[in-house]
Amino acid sequence: MATTAAQAGAFPSPYEIETPPGCEGWEEMYPYYALFDERRRDTDENRFWFWNSMHFPMPMPAFDVICIDSPYQAVGAWQNRVFAVPPAMGIDYRCVNGYIYISGNPVTDPAKIAERAEFFQKRAGYYFQNWPELYGKWRAKMEALIKELGELEVPDLPEYEPDEVAFGDDRNTAFYEVLDAYARAVRLGDLMWQHHFEFLLLGYGAYGTFVEFCKSHLPDIPDQHIAQMVAGIDVLLFRPDAELRRLARLAIETEVEEAFQQGRSPEEIDAELSQSDAGRSWLAELEKVKDPWFNMATGDGLYHYYRSWLDDPSIPYASLIGHISALKAGEQIDRPTEEIQRERDRLAEEYGALLDEGSRAAFNDLLGLSRTVFPYVEEHKFFCDYWFLTRWWNKIREFGALLARNDFLQDGEDVFQLSRYEVASALDELVLTWATGGLPLGPKHWPPIVARRKEILRRLGEWTPPPAIGVTPDAVTDPMVVMLWGVTTERVQEWARQVEGGSVLNGAAASPGVVEGLARVVRSVDQIGDVRDGEILVCGSTSPAWAPIFSKIKATVTDVGGVMSHAAIVAREYGLPAVVGTGRATAAIRTGQTIRVDGSEGTVTLL
Amino acid sequence: MTGYIRPLQQLSRSDEPSFGGKSANLGELLAAEIPVPAGFAISTAAFHAFVDDAGLGDRISSAVAGVSPGDLDAIGQASHAISEAMRSAPVPEALRDELAAQYGQLGEGSPPVAVRSSAVGEDSQQATFAGQQETYLWVRGAEHVCDAVRDCWVSLYSPPAISYRARLRDAGEPPAMGVTVQLMVDAEVSGVMFTCNPVSGDPSMVTLNASWGLGLAVVGGEVTPDEYLVSKVTREVVRERIHAKDVQYVPDARGGGAVRVRVPDERREQPCLDQTVLAQLVEVARRIERYFGAHQDVEWALARGGELSIVQTRPVTGLPKKPEEPKPQSAMSLIMGTFGAGPAKE
Repeated sequence: MATTAAQAGAFPSPYEIETPPGCEGWEEMYPYYALFDERRRDTDENRFWFWNSMHFPMPMPAFDVICIDSPYQAVGAWQNRVFAVPPAMGIDYRCVNGYIYISGNPVTDPAKIAERAEFFQKRAGYYFQNWPELYGKWRAKMEALIKELGELEVPDLPEYEPDEVAFGDDRNTAFYEVLDAYARAVRLGDLMWQHHFEFLLLGYGAYGTFVEFCKSHLPDIPDQHIAQMVAGIDVLLFRPDAELRRLARLAIETEVEEAFQQGRSPEEIDAELSQSDAGRSWLAELEKVKDPWFNMATGDGLYHYYRSWLDDPSIPYASLIGHISALKAGEQIDRPTEEIQRERDRLAEEYGALLDEGSRAAFNDLLGLSRTVFPYVEEHKFFCDYWFLTRWWNKIREFGALLARNDFLQDGEDVFQLSRYEVASALDELVLTWATGGLPLGPKHWPPIVARRKEILRRLGEWTPPPAIGVTPDAVTDPMVVMLWGVTTERVQEWARQVEGGSVLNGAAASPGVVEGLARVVRSVDQIGDVRDGEILVCGSTSPAWAPIFSKIKATVTDVGGVMSHAAIVAREYGLPAVVGTGRATAAIRTGQTIRVDGSEGTVTLL
Repeated sequence: MTGYIRPLQQLSRSDEPSFGGKSANLGELLAAEIPVPAGFAISTAAFHAFVDDAGLGDRISSAVAGVSPGDLDAIGQASHAISEAMRSAPVPEALRDELAAQYGQLGEGSPPVAVRSSAVGEDSQQATFAGQQETYLWVRGAEHVCDAVRDCWVSLYSPPAISYRARLRDAGEPPAMGVTVQLMVDAEVSGVMFTCNPVSGDPSMVTLNASWGLGLAVVGGEVTPDEYLVSKVTREVVRERIHAKDVQYVPDARGGGAVRVRVPDERREQPCLDQTVLAQLVEVARRIERYFGAHQDVEWALARGGELSIVQTRPVTGLPKKPEEPKPQSAMSLIMGTFGAGPAKE
């Protein structure tokens, strides 16, 4: 990682971390190159690695590793090979006990940095100058990609090929079609990740520069005001909930709101609605909204666990019930967009006026550029992480179903316990034996592997990874690491101090306010249902797709993330105190413990 | 009318050389329609007339002649001699009459007033350090006001003031001082505010210190006041530190002067400002800043009835140097800097 002189001490060596009992052999789930291997111990042991709990809060299932490889291939390609960010190449990752640690590769040779700076200035400059046009093309590319994924068929293996294969031109047999479909599915995923990162660094960089500028010229400015000045008015990410609010109003207008009773399942609600004309026309309206607005994920999208609202309608239905009861109580549920717009312009104008003339020009330009890039910063999550990825996981599930129908797996969902190469291998044997009529070994080979891995993952989930491993850097100088993960020199030093323990956790003051309450440690999205009203959410990181939970909790604390992280932005939007980037909140805090969150000072006190 | 005294509302910045900075600034505040308690200003000419009439000039010059700034004994003796001489000299009759007339116009009976020195020119920046910032609170009756004015003048020859001037080796004009006399505010809460954060340099914040009672406790550093940092843009309280405020100054029930008393237990740790008053203070701070075109250090008092008064304003000094580049950078070169790519080539 890009660090200055480093020292050993505070964090454990990656080579001395013990395997939790019963997890022996966990390494088989991961690629050889993802492990801390003795053959490169000299270098790996002398680097600083931090747990990327923002993106990978849970131990990785074997198949989901594709969502480590592809993103780091893609981000590195853009950062290092296209834009040539001068002091920082890409991000390396390693896996320890199923958890993902990352470390940047610095460029240290001044001549090399200067050489890269020329590329960067030219290429990044082009993007910034042509952003709206390029982003328009990007959206078109993403929509085409999502369409292509939807059209990708996973064929079945028939006893006899249909007549078209025998008599038609250019027909392929199913063995080829299956292998081709799988290869294309993997390829489409790679392509999505490539698109995902095309604008990300530059978008975050422009926004981050504006944040830094504000903090240097207006050192006490609340982060919320910075976000308010930049935030979009008509942001795509607000659309799904806006549609739910519209549907809630429609339910009341057409007098079908009685169907939405607290505690009813979506199926029960649908069943009641389908008994009346008004209910049926409400359901028809809901169908129109679903594509694309129900392609929201229930998590941040990097695990196959995160389903969409389409897959799991309990989240949007819970919101509908909430909106309807709020409306009936006479509350205003709409986002006051005009007011938001006015306030955003007023803040920008007043802050600008408080600066001296020389700084005002840069302030206005940076604000303008931040607003230009912000639609991408917000919307790429909807297109990539939610819409594409939830459908892509479902596409992989179709291959899982194919394998399960042929007894290679007990359950289609087990496909995620195999690596993408193992799935390819299983499909290879499946189509081979389908073709030859031979006896497949798969049904005896894969199920025990799946069972073992599920048990290992369950046990790894109970292990708490240290926030960092390897050497403690004197300074974190990688601009990407600082920008994307909020891992700064100060943060690392706090982690190092905290390794010894203590009853106060420090993080970034992400959303102001002080509250005390009971902690609810949520390690994965399937535990979200456990959260009770008025609890404090403690998690690896949060995302806007957790929206329903934000109306229940009274504060949030995360392990990783800076004041620009999505967690921080959402907390501010909901007006909840938030402390992000504590490094070890999920390790140090237990569910049910009373804690005090000071979102103004960035401290969490265990009481 | 000898013209030694003028009502505050007749003063403007150009009167600073003859009435001192404090009086001149209060005149400006009144022109800006900022609430300032009624009062009047005594010119430096009054001080000169006092010295001349009593024939003190020579005694003063000889007492301070050749005093070296580091010789504390000599300075102490000179200060003592001059103070004695000044305190036993009469205030000129004409000035006494004018002062009594102006004081009479401030109200029925013997209204309590604050008498403060109003330093001139170079001295005003250094006045605090040089011990020339005398304040006499809750002074009643023309005679007592007259004595307090003389006490202000005496403070020109406090040991630190003599030492300070000796260090400057300023052979030029002899020192002079104006005096400000203002109706007292029976303050429930008082304090100071800066139209910026003087620590961080943030121009979008108003920094306030507040404590119970008259302003002495805060200005004199006798309590740890409540501290507030309030956004000028949204009026929200960005930071708030409520401290235990042990003592306060209140008018002496026996007549004149202010006395230090303990703050009742139940109020000690209570915040002394609320959201509404803070917003009101910030509003006034913004008006003052806009009027003067520079950051101001403002003393204010909140009367028991809730009425807000400004009793002093002066420029903020010693702001942190801005982390400013030699010339302001363009947005694009700042973004390039984020990526370690140096300034962009335009």
